[in-house]
Amino acid sequence: MSIIDLTSMGEPQSDLKKELNDRLTKLQDEISEYCFQCAKCTSGCEAHKLLELEPHKIVALLKRGLINELVNSDVIWTCMTCLKCRERCPQRVAPVEILFALKNMAVASGKQIPGKYTGMLQSILSMGLIQDIQQTTTRTNKILKREELGLPPLSKPTDVSKFQAGIMKIAMEKV
Amino acid sequence: MKKKFALFPGCLMPTEQYAYELSIRETLPLLGVELVDVEGFSCCGEPMKSVNQLLTLYLSARNLAIAEKHHLDLFVPCAMCHLALTECQHILEENPAMKERINSMLTAEGLKYIERRQVIHIVDLLHDQVGIEKIKEHVKKPFTGLKIAAHYGCHILRPSEIGRPDDSENPQKIEEILKALGVEPMSYPQKLDCCGAPLLANKPESALTKTGQKLQAIQEQGIQGLVDVCPWCHKMFDSRQTKAGETVAAKLDVPVLYLTQLLGLAMGIRSEKLGLELNLSPVEKIQLGDVK
Amino acid sequence: MRRIGVFVCHCGINIAQNVDVKALTEYASHLNGVVVAKEYKYMCSDVGASLIKNTIKEFKLDGVVIASCSPRMHEHTFRRVANDGGVNPYRVEISNIREQCSWAHSNKEQATEKAKYLVRSAVSKALSLEPLRPSTLKVIPEALVIGGGIAGIQTSLDLANDGFKVHLVERDPSIGGHMAQLDKTFPTLDCSSCILTPKMMEVANHDNIELLSYSEVASIEGSIGNYTVKIRQKPRYVDVDKCTGCGDCASACRLKERIVSEFNQGMGKRGAAYMPFPQAVPLKYVIDDKKCLFLTKGKCGDEPLCKKACAQGAINFDQKEKIVERKVGAIVVTTGYDVMDPTSVYEYGYDQSPDVITTLEMERLISSSGPTKGEILRPSNQQKPKSVTFILCVGSRDETQCTWCCRIGCMTALKQVYLLREKLGEDVEINVCYNDLRSFGKGYEEFYRKVRGLHTNMFRGHPSEVRTMKDNLKIDIFDTTTSKLFEIKTDMVVLVPAMMPRTDATEFSRLLHLTLSGDGFLLEAHPKLRPVDTFVNGIFIAGCCQGPKDIQDTVAQASAAASRAATILSQDELEIDPLIAMVDEDICTGCGICVEVCPYEARTLNERKRIAEVNDALCTGCGGCIAACPSNASIHKNFTKKQLLNMVDDIM
Repeated sequence: MSIIDLTSMGEPQSDLKKELNDRLTKLQDEISEYCFQCAKCTSGCEAHKLLELEPHKIVALLKRGLINELVNSDVIWTCMTCLKCRERCPQRVAPVEILFALKNMAVASGKQIPGKYTGMLQSILSMGLIQDIQQTTTRTNKILKREELGLPPLSKPTDVSKFQAGIMKIAMEKV
Repeated sequence: MKKKFALFPGCLMPTEQYAYELSIRETLPLLGVELVDVEGFSCCGEPMKSVNQLLTLYLSARNLAIAEKHHLDLFVPCAMCHLALTECQHILEENPAMKERINSMLTAEGLKYIERRQVIHIVDLLHDQVGIEKIKEHVKKPFTGLKIAAHYGCHILRPSEIGRPDDSENPQKIEEILKALGVEPMSYPQKLDCCGAPLLANKPESALTKTGQKLQAIQEQGIQGLVDVCPWCHKMFDSRQTKAGETVAAKLDVPVLYLTQLLGLAMGIRSEKLGLELNLSPVEKIQLGDVK
Repeated sequence: MRRIGVFVCHCGINIAQNVDVKALTEYASHLNGVVVAKEYKYMCSDVGASLIKNTIKEFKLDGVVIASCSPRMHEHTFRRVANDGGVNPYRVEISNIREQCSWAHSNKEQATEKAKYLVRSAVSKALSLEPLRPSTLKVIPEALVIGGGIAGIQTSLDLANDGFKVHLVERDPSIGGHMAQLDKTFPTLDCSSCILTPKMMEVANHDNIELLSYSEVASIEGSIGNYTVKIRQKPRYVDVDKCTGCGDCASACRLKERIVSEFNQGMGKRGAAYMPFPQAVPLKYVIDDKKCLFLTKGKCGDEPLCKKACAQGAINFDQKEKIVERKVGAIVVTTGYDVMDPTSVYEYGYDQSPDVITTLEMERLISSSGPTKGEILRPSNQQKPKSVTFILCVGSRDETQCTWCCRIGCMTALKQVYLLREKLGEDVEINVCYNDLRSFGKGYEEFYRKVRGLHTNMFRGHPSEVRTMKDNLKIDIFDTTTSKLFEIKTDMVVLVPAMMPRTDATEFSRLLHLTLSGDGFLLEAHPKLRPVDTFVNGIFIAGCCQGPKDIQDTVAQASAAASRAATILSQDELEIDPLIAMVDEDICTGCGICVEVCPYEARTLNERKRIAEVNDALCTGCGGCIAACPSNASIHKNFTKKQLLNMVDDIM
């Protein structure tokens, strides 16, 4: 009749779990149910040794419906997107895509986005790219910019207002 | 036979990793590839996947639609962009409802994604389309047995189920191109390890640790240089090599070049034209050593 | 004037709840041709059967309609009951008022109305049914067994001891199969050869068994009770009547120790003239015609050394392939399995380091008659390993490789852990990386406990990859029991590969018209109740060709298949179901369309009479020819168009 996680004293969030699994199906990814915890993903996880990310545990918690715990954690932001977990999983589960879904959920719920993502998003909004033309220093300490190298002008959205109109709509939507 | 592609530059290459763009523009036309500069492209959206994947799909779809409008296939030098665009095609082709949804959003810019066109990266462009024989024909200054290792990165190899430029577990296309240049390609156990770049956004120290660890392993095996095929990987291995060395407390001294730079040198193109001064790693070790 | 009896079954409440059985019976009793209608709670019971038989006698019935459950359930039973009562069994018509009426509707009034017209049409069919008689076919009391592994050996011995002649066909030069490659068997640690070779000898010496080794089945025609089999005997280039098995030819062979040995799974070498293994049956040498210099190039130095060395003059390069024919009444397929090549799971390094091997390769190293005479040595440097790591489920339970469990992997790994510990002592570190450890059989759990007690390092998890380093192999594995990531530096890695159907299973299944299941193994007729039957009458399967299993289950299935085959072979004659196609000779124009359409090759064209003919034994009554015949000359007995159209008219 009821299942309670004694560490958090909370019940599984089955509606959030369904939302997540529906999203995975929409994006052609396998749902979490088939995972049998072989931990091949974690054994090969590029982010595990440095940042203690355990992709199999993320999937196990998702199976159990303990979404809030995941969405509120910092560990979901440590994924390196190397995609080895998705490539090698014998049950076609993709922990990397589940992590993207959890991160999207965290952002949508108003949590503060860590690191430089906000800056990149703002740059995309204003000029279409994650950053503007940068200065580079050569091995001999000369400073150069794009124009000085004889390269053609940057390709970016021609009608910025139309571009922004398109993106603004999406900010409110979920997959 | 001339092959024509729209060049999709992405964000990092045109704003920072100029050497890649320079070496691409120098070498590819000589190999029979015509690159068309198209206006209006934007970020592919991959860095935004953690924020809102719908935004990523939209951004990728708009870029694909722009190329379609010009009736051009896309040449995508950045591995992250290549994955974003390919994955977008895969999702839109497999899920008609999503395709309709994205297209309804694209009307704001007067764009529409209709059909799947070719999205190609430098590795499969050189190996599959140009071909090893043609590359050999253009090699004027072959390297003699220089021991170079290839770094493929992650995003052009995985996930294999949507189709990637090379095999996910045993990629060999770069090695075959290197052989055509007279290089002795070196295999190493850490070949499939990640460069760490995706963590730059929020865990830069860990990102640099990954870079440093891989370079250290390469250095310890007597390998004379590393080639890469993605501006993010190159940014880590080359532009940030010193910092990476500091992070793992090791003195790193590995020459790192874009594959197209090494290709250009073998084709006899002058190093200034290939942006070699922009490499921060000690590439002169290669230029002086084996290039005639 | 026909006399039909209608019997309405309540089927407990399954029918009675939704159909007014009393009203239905009353209605039926007044139908044209019906002389009596009765109802009962369970018509399929003994009481019901007696009711039917007594009513037949009392009212002198010549046809019976049973309004009951689906004919798939009890048609067979009711035919027998009618026959016992004196009515021709093919003058029985079942009206399905359960699955197709009571179970499908909830309104009792409407369901009863529907039941009435269902019964009405069944009665009209019953009035037109012909009193058919099954034809018979003579059974040849001999069996064909395809595949000489432990399954084929057991089946052959059982049938031979029953008194039937058995033709055992084996495509390798010796029988024994995979079991002959094993050192010990779990959980008893019996020596595999010691328990297998006596049976192999029995096969060789049994009067009732004809062993056709180094042979393959080329074609099979005919039907249950009467198969004609063509067998291709490959030339050994050694006269088996003269060969004494002395081995002089192999010792002399110019290619000695230069060809990869299949029996040793590539861990050892042989020559072109070779004996597959020391206990081979038949103990005769064979020359590999794909590698022998004389046979491939026409020249072997000055003269073939084997010929020179053979004191018996048994070498004969003029031998040719022979096709022989045998006639049998039943066939048992025991063709076994193949081991998956782990190269497809590239990340485990099978292709990258010689020290990464499979369990079958390790078995050959452990075996005292193997390439290293039982010494465990690293293939890379021939040194004793200080650490061996097993990885289970390589390619098994994997949606990207073989989706099924290989069933024997866990126990094989545990067995090898035990044997390695015995051979290498306490110094060696033995690691096992497993997903779920399946030790399900009798004595298996005890064995697992024993191995746990031997200081085996058990890691619960799958490694992501095996990295080939300069001197050893490196494995990172996350152990879910301690939630820690371990780095294992090991000298040898043993992969437990998936068990797969034979690579030529698809082609082979076409020879016999056998169905394959989704995983590519041969399909059994019913997984629970008919595990060794197939959908082809007279052909049985046993052992790993049906699905992964261990030796004891294989032997059990082999004996089961022998028993099933014996059921056929022990009869002089078999009855052939008469509900099949027939040709109206007056109408048939001999166009031959039915011959092309028939999937069972049951139709032929009689050249003299210029009409089509049906082989009753092969026809399954599928109806293909009936639909295809443009002249309406192809008729399905007791399911003629006229009979069926009458039923439809009655319902309308």
